[in-house]
Amino acid sequence: MLKKYIKLNMNEMPYPPPIGIINSAKKGLSNLNRYTSQKSLEMLKNMLSDYSKAPKEHIILSSGSDLLIREMIHLFSKRRKTIVVDPTFFPITQAAKQFAPNTMKIRLSEPSFDLPISYLVDELNEQSLVVIDSPNNPTGNILLKGIEDIVETGAYLLIDEAYYEFSGIGFAEFVKDHPNLAVTRTMDKAFSLAGARIGYLIAGKTFLNDFLGFDTFLPLPGVYAAIEALKNIDYVKKNVNKIIDERKRVQKEVTKMGIGVYPSNTNFLLIKTGVPDAARELKKAGVLVFDLSNQLSSEFIRVSIGTKDENNFFLLSLEKIINQNSFK
Amino acid sequence: MKRIGLIVNPVAGMGGSVGLKGTDGNMYKKALEMNAKPITPERTKEFLSYIKNIENITFFTAPGRMGEDYLREINISFKVVGSISENVSAEDTKKIAEEMVKKIDLLIFVGGDGTARDIYDAVGLKKPVVAVPSGVKMFSSVFAVSPRAAAEMVDSFIKGTDLKEEEVLDIDEDAFRNNKLSATLYGYLNVPYIKRLLQSGKEASRTDKHTMEDKEGIARHIIEEMDDEILYLFGPGTTTKAITDKLNLSKTLLGVDAVFKRKLVGKDLNEEGILKLLKKYNKVRIVITPIGGNGFIFGRGNKQFTFDVIRRIGKENIIVIGTESKLRNLNCLRVDTGSLEVDKTLQGYIKVVTGYREEMMIEVRC
Repeated sequence: MLKKYIKLNMNEMPYPPPIGIINSAKKGLSNLNRYTSQKSLEMLKNMLSDYSKAPKEHIILSSGSDLLIREMIHLFSKRRKTIVVDPTFFPITQAAKQFAPNTMKIRLSEPSFDLPISYLVDELNEQSLVVIDSPNNPTGNILLKGIEDIVETGAYLLIDEAYYEFSGIGFAEFVKDHPNLAVTRTMDKAFSLAGARIGYLIAGKTFLNDFLGFDTFLPLPGVYAAIEALKNIDYVKKNVNKIIDERKRVQKEVTKMGIGVYPSNTNFLLIKTGVPDAARELKKAGVLVFDLSNQLSSEFIRVSIGTKDENNFFLLSLEKIINQNSFK
Repeated sequence: MKRIGLIVNPVAGMGGSVGLKGTDGNMYKKALEMNAKPITPERTKEFLSYIKNIENITFFTAPGRMGEDYLREINISFKVVGSISENVSAEDTKKIAEEMVKKIDLLIFVGGDGTARDIYDAVGLKKPVVAVPSGVKMFSSVFAVSPRAAAEMVDSFIKGTDLKEEEVLDIDEDAFRNNKLSATLYGYLNVPYIKRLLQSGKEASRTDKHTMEDKEGIARHIIEEMDDEILYLFGPGTTTKAITDKLNLSKTLLGVDAVFKRKLVGKDLNEEGILKLLKKYNKVRIVITPIGGNGFIFGRGNKQFTFDVIRRIGKENIIVIGTESKLRNLNCLRVDTGSLEVDKTLQGYIKVVTGYREEMMIEVRC
């Protein structure tokens, strides 16, 4: 029999969407023999335009925002220097490695994990492509509080705002005024729709031509669910607040254990456990967390905030492995 | 009041600028013949000047230039322990440390890996120590990252802080001079545990396929960018050696070699040799790699690049190279040139070439 784990490794929302959204997805399921209509896709774009305060014609849909990030790097890194932060959302590193002929990483260092904006700006010109996730994954830190200094250099700037709903800081509405700015967002996280994979790009004018014809026919159940979700986003706000409260509680408990935990503006926490191979140790205890041995070191973990019970189980397991380690 | 011991190894670090890679045994006499200047006086004075709670310390010190002289200079009261021979040796360090250990709460020593070994032999885990870095070889993790950091550790100890056992490593100096790096774990010393103030021990060079590919990429990148008008000074390490290997040049693995127009024009250079070349060549660049595990780019393992050399060449002419696997475990790079002023000019972010047309910008701290 397969072992059952508490899944805190993918930054999913632990609460399912309201029943109305599930019923809409079911409606899509009962029409699975049909492609998603253009009308539904247009409706979704209209609603995302209202939600993100960005013009509809600047919105490009995709099955997950990671595909859009990948496409942006693929299309615009060719004759440019691609600048990313380190650590960052793994698909960004991966796409830069695969497509960008000339790359520079900017290391985010403890204890603040802040982005050294002035050093970044000194490096930029019209031949630069900057890709930054803000809040940053895995640190949870807000890296960009403004964009003027960057976009004024003429550099292309792509911001991944997968955790926008948790941080409240986003730049989508500036896209119409800055042709070299693009923002990716997702309904995977705060909207409880990870299984629907609705990602979208809000792209400045410079990028739009290259995305002509990119719109994919997203699966019908996901589109119906997303439309229903955007009709009333109260549940999102409620769940986000619940997660933030839980995040604060977990952070406080982890601090009591005497190990490093960093301020977060997302639905996850970065923890420096002091235990080698911490992710593997937690897996043995029945909790899946994200292993950061390839980005920071094996004592670091990224843990998603789950339900209260899940978080309690995680805290107990973490305390256990820390105590075991201190006797080694 | 805390009772704190002070032992300074007056010959530690003297081999660095003259390229001797250590002063264990009789090598310090050779260093003297080569006009090497003592390093420890300045390091000890710098260290003492940063201790904030110095009034709360009762010092027990080794005599003369092994400690007493520096405390006398700053008008701090002290008690002298033991006596020393005219030509101080490891035996003096051990003897005094053994005598001191019963009288003190904490022992401070100024020196390198060799001194750490002597302190370990005499003190072991009986009393905590603070190690002020002042040697040529400093691969042990007992050392503070700088004299200033060591002073902060003393202040923390006075206020009360946790202790941790850290490694005492030593490198076989004869093997080191013959281009081989062989580290032995001698044992552990108890140190006040403030992670950001302690250096990590040296990590072994990686030889996995991915790292080797990265080193090859770095070499390709550097060679492509090389300018025939510029003299390149390649620091120690396997990452820099990958470049000279690709140029079919035989590099001193643990020394500094000079390359001009893709030919060797200087081998295993000391400070004097480097300064001579600086007079001859107008444009000079240093190519260095951080020490794996602790991130030092200057001040550990490449003391031939003295602060005078670095000041003359300038930050803009320093090329740092290193594989991503090496950088992954480093939160920042470090410098400890012996001059706080030069260290400060190197502070801030610096680019590290990590592969072919791949760079990482990373913070340098001191």
